[in-house]
Amino acid sequence: MLANNNQIAHRKKILVVFFLCAAVLVGLFGRLVYLMVWRAEHYSQLADDLHERERSIKAARGRILDRNGVVLADNTTVCTISVIHNQIREPEKVIEMLCRELGLSEEFVRARVEKYSSMERIRSNVDKETGDRIREYDLAGVKVDEDYKRYYPYGDLASKVLGFTGGDNQGIIGLEVIYEKYLTGEAGTILTVTDARGIEVDEAGERRIEPVAGNDLYISIDRNIQSYATQLAVQACAAKEADSVSIIVMNPKDGEIYAMVNVPEFDLNDPYALPEGTPENLSAEEKQDLLNGIWRNGCINDTYEPGSTFKIITAAAGLEEGVVTPQDTFSCPGYIVVDDRKIRCHKTAGHGAETFVQATMNSCNPVFITVGLRLGVDNYYKYFEQFGLKTKTGIDLPGEAGTIMHDREDMGNVELATVSFGQSFQITPIQLLTTAASIINGGRRVTPHFGVRAVNEKGEVVETFSYPVQSGIVSEQTSQTLREMLELVVSEGGGKNGQVAGFRIGGKTATSQTLPRNSGRYIASFLAFAPADDPQVIAIAIVNHPKGTYYGGQVAAPILRQLYENILPYLGIMRYNQ
Amino acid sequence: MAGQRRRSRKREQTEYFFDYSLLFIVLFLLGFGLVMVYSASYYEAFSDTGDVAYYLKRQLAADIVGLVAMIVVANIPYHFWERFATLGYVVSMILILLVLTPLGIERNGARRWIGVEGFPFNLQPAEVAKLGMILFLAAMVCKMGKSVRTMKGFLLMVVVPLPIVLLVWQLTNNLSSAIIIMGISLLMVFVASPDYKKFVIMGAAALGAAALLVVIIVNADSVEGFRSERILAWLDPESYAQGKGFQTLQALYAIGSGGIWGKGLGQSMQKLNFLPEAQNDMIFSIICEELGLFGAIAIILMFILLLWRMMIIANNATDLFGALLVVGVMGHIAIQAILNIAVVTSTIPNTGISLPFISYGGSSVMFLLIEIGLVLSVAKRIQLKT
Repeated sequence: MLANNNQIAHRKKILVVFFLCAAVLVGLFGRLVYLMVWRAEHYSQLADDLHERERSIKAARGRILDRNGVVLADNTTVCTISVIHNQIREPEKVIEMLCRELGLSEEFVRARVEKYSSMERIRSNVDKETGDRIREYDLAGVKVDEDYKRYYPYGDLASKVLGFTGGDNQGIIGLEVIYEKYLTGEAGTILTVTDARGIEVDEAGERRIEPVAGNDLYISIDRNIQSYATQLAVQACAAKEADSVSIIVMNPKDGEIYAMVNVPEFDLNDPYALPEGTPENLSAEEKQDLLNGIWRNGCINDTYEPGSTFKIITAAAGLEEGVVTPQDTFSCPGYIVVDDRKIRCHKTAGHGAETFVQATMNSCNPVFITVGLRLGVDNYYKYFEQFGLKTKTGIDLPGEAGTIMHDREDMGNVELATVSFGQSFQITPIQLLTTAASIINGGRRVTPHFGVRAVNEKGEVVETFSYPVQSGIVSEQTSQTLREMLELVVSEGGGKNGQVAGFRIGGKTATSQTLPRNSGRYIASFLAFAPADDPQVIAIAIVNHPKGTYYGGQVAAPILRQLYENILPYLGIMRYNQ
Repeated sequence: MAGQRRRSRKREQTEYFFDYSLLFIVLFLLGFGLVMVYSASYYEAFSDTGDVAYYLKRQLAADIVGLVAMIVVANIPYHFWERFATLGYVVSMILILLVLTPLGIERNGARRWIGVEGFPFNLQPAEVAKLGMILFLAAMVCKMGKSVRTMKGFLLMVVVPLPIVLLVWQLTNNLSSAIIIMGISLLMVFVASPDYKKFVIMGAAALGAAALLVVIIVNADSVEGFRSERILAWLDPESYAQGKGFQTLQALYAIGSGGIWGKGLGQSMQKLNFLPEAQNDMIFSIICEELGLFGAIAIILMFILLLWRMMIIANNATDLFGALLVVGVMGHIAIQAILNIAVVTSTIPNTGISLPFISYGGSSVMFLLIEIGLVLSVAKRIQLKT
């Protein structure tokens, strides 16, 4: 037996051991309280992130509406039908139902239903009614996921302006790209719980974060004007067997574009379709180049030599600088010698004696060269920049081309002479139209644009877009003089074909030969505004490479005449010529 | 001596004492362990073996075998084992060495088991060594008598476990078992020796050494080896989330997401293949996740109760041998429970230690039950004072 004192010593030590162990366990208990109470949220969050898999729910993309609220770009709901193998309870019923509803062969469906995979897609892009019907069968293991697909009710209307969207509903070209952040919305998510291998845990259910639909975009286009202009362009294009016809219709006071047509347009609902007769064996790159050509917006992405329509700018510069007055008289012998070069007038016999107004009506090259030379390179260049021709217009479409112009230092009298009547440099049609609009509207350089406002799902205006306006690029006096001169061009001069009975129209025609000069290819164009005394609408029609007659006054002017005959009353511009 | 023993045995047979509280606590822990093993393992068991109850069945079988062994041992007077003390020490050593022979079985990159083909259970020699060490030290201290108090005696007691400890550590690459065996030994020596000062110094030295090691590793330029990286992962598991900190972090996710009330039995997410060894070393974190802070407290309280019962038995044991046996078993269970909970809560660096009676593991539970059998046998000798 143990000695008594020893036993007491042992007992004490055993007690110490017990209390030590118990103390450590209590300490660990404290640690647990810390982890499970104070750190619980942190670790639960991390654990949830680990367990949950996200499936995103696409947000409805905002619509694009014209100035009157006509929907130009919309969404349709399409469904994707899938089966989840290990949730299917009645495979035969599922196969039979899917075959019937989707019109698929039993063989096709059976292979997918019986395939052991986590999720098998049966068919996508199924219309909503069919999707709803399939959902109503309520068969286990059949999943109907809704998705949005962009839909353009008017097919090819304003195709190069609106643009289209890609597989993820993101804008590819046009306004769809520029206003992406307003249109796109916020995707929602479905959170599902999975195990470490990514297999969904059935009992855990799912959590949804609802998507936020994108904002609707109201644009300045008027569907009626756009579609009428398109019709005219198509007719002209066919009649003149032209390569393309572009028409822009704009409000010169604020730069809102009512229509922008580039015929041939393409089908926005099938933008990847290649034209008939395309060779089959194109490489992906060639195909893309071809498509890029089809999608190209000539009014903005391409530059051209404007020709005589540019005389508006030369006239404005000359009048503003005071080197010429409307009453100044000139004599046109059919050519003019600049330095060592002889530059011909389009009328080789010459226009003879004429005032500046008459020279404008006649579109007389030697007179405008003379005005250009009177201005001199420095002044001309100054006005070129002052009118905003060296900068881009800032239109809200992607890929606006810049102006191709002689460098100031490289400009001699010959270059100046050719620029004066619109040759040897290139600008975009929208640049020409904007500059002309700014000159005739009293000297306010406007920013051409489409976007007016973004409106959210609830109809609240999220943003009203504003665009810079630069005033004082020409004086009101010069502006008024030009309006009068250009009205005479239409009423009595080269733009006679642009007359619209009962309306005062101002305008200028142009016939520019495209490079190389001897190719016999021309661009016929006509720029016109109405009413001439208080322009509320300005438009340009450009016919690229027409067959047969190629004069702007004969090819392009009638297009705008027809356009104005219809849209002026429509726009409520009823100020008759008095 | 022999005559005394015979007489005392006769006396006790008339006043039969059986510690039902201890038995109840052990049975509760075993039952709870089975529930938790099933809960933690069914998902993985189904995907791995197709049988949701795969781990449950194996654990139940081990429990039954263990309980039978416990009852047998409980009914054998514990002094019967005294004569096998030295043999136990030698057998432990041989079994550890057997790991190196073809009988050794490698799992998860460590060779820690021995087994014969066709026999359903494999044996972890480290478990045998724990029991063997308890028995051997208890017997040795009794033999040493008064020399226990001398410095020489103290050193002898400290040195004797070292060969086994080193073998377990180095041969089976099992640091945690080595620490447990050393810990059990030191606790027994602490109880046997009347001194305090030496132990306080030893404890302080051990803590100091551990702290120094951590400081060295943290400040080292390059991290080499598997254990030093474990320490870095322990200090900042979130930075080592894909490596050594993975298991620790997953355990913390489980514990943290349990909160105060838990997700409910069977509702753990972390056991869905996220947390490795969910039914084994990490089962406590699943308990926390499913049963919350209250479930965790309940388990800790059960362990404290178990230790308390063993303390009572040790203090009332009729002789030093019995008392030391109980102290050894108590130390074994206490150290393992503490280290396991500490690892799971990332209080100490990660090392594989199972939670007594609850974690999945046949060898472990069988030997623990044999040890409980010994404790019950010691308890049976206690004279009831009426």
